[in-house]
Amino acid sequence: MKFARLLPLAAVCALLAPMASPPAPAGAAGNDQVVVANIGDMSGVYSALDGAGAVLADQMAIDDFGGKVLGKPIKLVSFDHRNDPGLANQETTEAIDRDHATLLLDYTNSATALAGAGVAKEKHVIQIVTGGGTDALTNDPKYCNPYTYHYGYDVYALAHGTAATLTKQGGKKWYTITANYAFGHALYNDVKAAVEANGGKVLGNDDVPLGTSDFSTYLLKAKSSGADVLGLDNAGNDTVNAMKQINEFGMKKNMKIGVMLLFESDVHALGPDYWAGSTVTIGGYWDLDAKSRAFAARFAAKNHGNPPTWSQFANYSAVTTYLEAVKRAGTTDPLAVEKQLVGYHFSDAFARNAYIRPQDHLLIHDMYLAQVLPASEVKQPWAYFKILKVIPGAEAYRPLSEVKCHLGS
Amino acid sequence: MLENLGGQIFNGLVSGAFYAMLSLGLAIIFGLLRIVNFAHGTMYMLGAFAAYFGAQSFGLNFWAALIVSPIVVAIIGMVIERLLLSRLYKLDVLYNLLLTFGITLFLEDAMRLKFGMQGSPYVIPDQLTGIVNLGFLIYPTYRIFVIAASLIICIGTWLVIEKTSLGATLRAATENPALVRAFGINVPVLITGVFGFGCALAAFAGVLAAPTTNVAPLMGDDIIIPTFAVVVIGGMGSILGSIVTGFLVGVVVAMGAVFYPPISSTLTYILMAVVLLIRPAGLFGSAEGLR
Amino acid sequence: MLSNGPRTASRVELWLGVGLFALGLLLPWIVYPVLAMNIVVWALFAVGFNLLLGYTGLLSFGHAMFFGGASYVTGIAILHAHLPMPLALLAGAAYAALLALAVGALSIRRQGIYFAMITLAFAQLIYFFVSGAFIGVTGGENGLQGVPRGTFFGIPLQHDRVMYYVLFAITAAVVAFVVRVIHSPFGQVLKAIRENEQRARSLGYDVDRFKLMAFVLSGAVSGLAGGLLVVFQHFTVMDNVDWRTSGEVVMMTLLGGMGTVYGPIVGAAFYLLLSDRLAVLVNAPGVFIGGIFIVMVLVFRRGIVGEILARRDARRARARAEAERIGA
Repeated sequence: MKFARLLPLAAVCALLAPMASPPAPAGAAGNDQVVVANIGDMSGVYSALDGAGAVLADQMAIDDFGGKVLGKPIKLVSFDHRNDPGLANQETTEAIDRDHATLLLDYTNSATALAGAGVAKEKHVIQIVTGGGTDALTNDPKYCNPYTYHYGYDVYALAHGTAATLTKQGGKKWYTITANYAFGHALYNDVKAAVEANGGKVLGNDDVPLGTSDFSTYLLKAKSSGADVLGLDNAGNDTVNAMKQINEFGMKKNMKIGVMLLFESDVHALGPDYWAGSTVTIGGYWDLDAKSRAFAARFAAKNHGNPPTWSQFANYSAVTTYLEAVKRAGTTDPLAVEKQLVGYHFSDAFARNAYIRPQDHLLIHDMYLAQVLPASEVKQPWAYFKILKVIPGAEAYRPLSEVKCHLGS
Repeated sequence: MLENLGGQIFNGLVSGAFYAMLSLGLAIIFGLLRIVNFAHGTMYMLGAFAAYFGAQSFGLNFWAALIVSPIVVAIIGMVIERLLLSRLYKLDVLYNLLLTFGITLFLEDAMRLKFGMQGSPYVIPDQLTGIVNLGFLIYPTYRIFVIAASLIICIGTWLVIEKTSLGATLRAATENPALVRAFGINVPVLITGVFGFGCALAAFAGVLAAPTTNVAPLMGDDIIIPTFAVVVIGGMGSILGSIVTGFLVGVVVAMGAVFYPPISSTLTYILMAVVLLIRPAGLFGSAEGLR
Repeated sequence: MLSNGPRTASRVELWLGVGLFALGLLLPWIVYPVLAMNIVVWALFAVGFNLLLGYTGLLSFGHAMFFGGASYVTGIAILHAHLPMPLALLAGAAYAALLALAVGALSIRRQGIYFAMITLAFAQLIYFFVSGAFIGVTGGENGLQGVPRGTFFGIPLQHDRVMYYVLFAITAAVVAFVVRVIHSPFGQVLKAIRENEQRARSLGYDVDRFKLMAFVLSGAVSGLAGGLLVVFQHFTVMDNVDWRTSGEVVMMTLLGGMGTVYGPIVGAAFYLLLSDRLAVLVNAPGVFIGGIFIVMVLVFRRGIVGEILARRDARRARARAEAERIGA
């Protein structure tokens, strides 16, 4: 056999060889490091609000903590789940088995968050979801478990903040456009409840296929319904497209627009004038005050001059909170760390007046009702939001009496 | 109520305008060249990005973009055809479908790396903002423009192909290339040119889409599959079929969205299944692909 | 006609099969059990798909409706109807077979690209049912979650390696069955149809009936793979019914070698291992996978196994010609 013929075969083997590292049995070597695994969307539809920026935020949290905890160096590994829950499942397992991760983080995209929760529960590793918004993580007994935490925001807080406020301000008649999937429906249900609780009424709703790019039909229906508020129960590209067409049809003249989920990267996609005037609830903001701005400046220095989206910001806070809990617990054992995580009150650059609720592992913290500024009022790049008011955690999140999970006392 | 219905029909005509332009390009490429161009949605996306990039870097306005962007994308398409596609002509037509599928994956990710995922801003040109009062309907000016532009381009293209000698030559070249070459006409150049033209059509649609749709790397993804369905409904390879069917499907989907939104994106496929059962060659097609 | 599989000596095939079997036995010790299980399930899907593409010459762009659809049927059967796993798997495969029968009856007479488009259209309809109409039962975008593994004829499946070997055993048995089908008279007719449909028809074969049977068998095997997926993963998602999933199985089959018996298995393994590596190393999965696909279509149409077998054939032909020259 000539060697030349073997070359392609050799190339293939060389490419695949690194994969042939056998999985070490759980609990073996690896106790000389503390490993944090970020499993997020690095290359898909959410990569702008999450992606590499979130990993950077994680690393900064580790560096700011000193790079070590309990005398051991902290290592960060990052995975791209590409919005595929199957891949997220596989990568979560790999992070635990191969890298001995003690913290699983991020999970932007609710379906991947739920898949990860299953693994976290089975393998007893702490998972903190900063990206996905589904409240099933903390309010559905099928998913909530002692190892999973929901950090940063959830569907209930978003819907209640925005819908309750707009209704109280006089927007009694609503029309909603809902993305026809679980996240959209959850938003719709919470919006409807908040509107009705404040004396309003949802005149009509359209369940629109996820990924729709032409909203003209639904916008015309909304216009002729006579509603004074238009609620967008969707996220990401769907919201961006809807907004573009809302401007095209001149709907902002007669209606208030309630956007349920919005990040700085979405505003950047169209430019603030398109979004100007929209009301949204956010979990944190880089331009909130001096404390947040200090972090944002350091982050921007490493991120091509761009400050963090509030989702990336949540990552920084989550890692710091975890490491401090580990330090207090004196161990990385998840149940011991749990005791230090829940009920502990703190305030950092992202989360103010915060604590993790023992019953459902949900981070209760101040949320902010914000309005998008027109370009003329934007003082510096990315400073798109104007904070209208602070919504204290107790008001923003689902009250204890309605929570269906009971993880502890 | 009448105004609402009128408005919804116009909404349908607008999305139909895009289907018509895109399926026209696809039908030309398939009908004349036997290439199934899965990358057609990517060409549409590149057209929109070319408009954005032109505006950002060269201050290119919308009207200039309508001309420059199709030319740029046509060149890209022709390079792809010469370098890659032409190697597959002697093989089964399904290989070029697979190749263009790979090209789509490649280009979409490359655009994501360069421009990011969240989208890039593009505004309606000043001359076309605002609304126009048509008497029975008050409707955004820009959308009326889209319908008009699409009709002009589509009908113009159809006239060239069916009624001019250039068109006749094209049609002859695909049926009997050897004979046409014997007349001294350079067939490969003709093929490359036609492919480029098809891509230019897609890019033109992309420029028209940029002001009202988020200019993002995956914008072609969601439109390519319904476009294929439109081409099949119209009759693969039928130029007139794709134009008429494009507008028709647009209106049908809009009507569906009015009465039962969840089904709106599926209506196209239901329509396709029904047409294929009743009239397998498509509404305007010849007995192609059957025994 | 699509690339013909090389005329393979059955001895090479046998060795390949044995080799893959041995590798399969060791797989959960070489890579993570979860990745190993994914490889086995997708390999089965690709084998089922190849029955239609490589052996009958029909490209379906909608096979996700069998794979993904059956994963939902099996998952719902276990979760809501509390069926034991073997029955639930059968339910998934039966759903796929029946769907293939229905879709096939309507579309089998079409050629090439038209057939591909029709399968795509029907797959989109199934996607709509999963994502829209039946969202209450399927869980929509969150997917169908929390499906317990249960037991397989008394064997508890919680431990990943045990689950793997059960998957592997089922898959190996079905692959062996498919191999038998390929080498049977029925399989020979399919190959004849792929090579020259007119001639097969003129020889008196009811070509449509054979194509339909191949479609149903292909669907059923793909459906079984989908059922196995939801069992080991505990969940399934809408992506599994999406046209991109249909595209992925085409890529795997092409990568491995369509029209070869074991090509799809190699292709699935290669594709999944590569994806796994890419997820950690690079931030440009589409560029890599798209690029590899372009190169495959241009110069490696025969796929990995196809290339190996073709070179083997070429060497033999040369040796034979050499021998004849000397002997003559």
